[in-house]
Amino acid sequence: MDPFDLDVRRHVYFSVVANGRPPSTEDAAAAFDAPKDDIADAYRRLHDAHALVLFPDTTDVWMANPFCFAPTPHRVRAGGRTWTGTCCWDALGIPGALHADGDVETECACCGERLELTVREGELVAGADLLCHVLVPARRWWDDIGFT
Amino acid sequence: MVFLRSEEHLERWLGANGWEPGATVPARQMNELARTWWWSRLDPGWQPRTAEQSQALLDVVGLTGEFWSLQA
Repeated sequence: MDPFDLDVRRHVYFSVVANGRPPSTEDAAAAFDAPKDDIADAYRRLHDAHALVLFPDTTDVWMANPFCFAPTPHRVRAGGRTWTGTCCWDALGIPGALHADGDVETECACCGERLELTVREGELVAGADLLCHVLVPARRWWDDIGFT
Repeated sequence: MVFLRSEEHLERWLGANGWEPGATVPARQMNELARTWWWSRLDPGWQPRTAEQSQALLDVVGLTGEFWSLQA
């Protein structure tokens, strides 16, 4: 991966952790003292490389996995913030990425009943009896990452 | 990739949507995978993993077989 793209990606993730949201291309252009179009191109290359996910037909960050910037049922308290997880895997991944304890509030996909999971020192100490279901085989995850 | 309360709820959810089952993973196993998979995501020196490295992370938590194969 291009060193500039790696720098941009690192800036996106550091901004997410610092501010709770990803930088716009304008924000990142100011941080890099670079043209906005160069940042937009880097965002698109990172999207194509599955290192970020952009909202369709935009350069706005939808996912810097495991963090998500669109509403989902998965809320995660970890590292002093409340985050949104893209899916069950990412929701449990947020404490992992932050190297922190975490509390996941989510819902049963079937009935909408509230579910809670607790991660302490990496272990799932509450909610371990719940199930996760993956509909799409691994080789097709990126065909439609929003559905996956 | 969703959370479900039980096998009964899973079957009801699949039936209501007309979907074929994929793979069911106990939450404890998913937590093991998630912790491993995302652990280095914020590292300053992060580099993308190869497909083989990602496959190995699935393997190590016991997610093996065709469904979990990352290669087409």
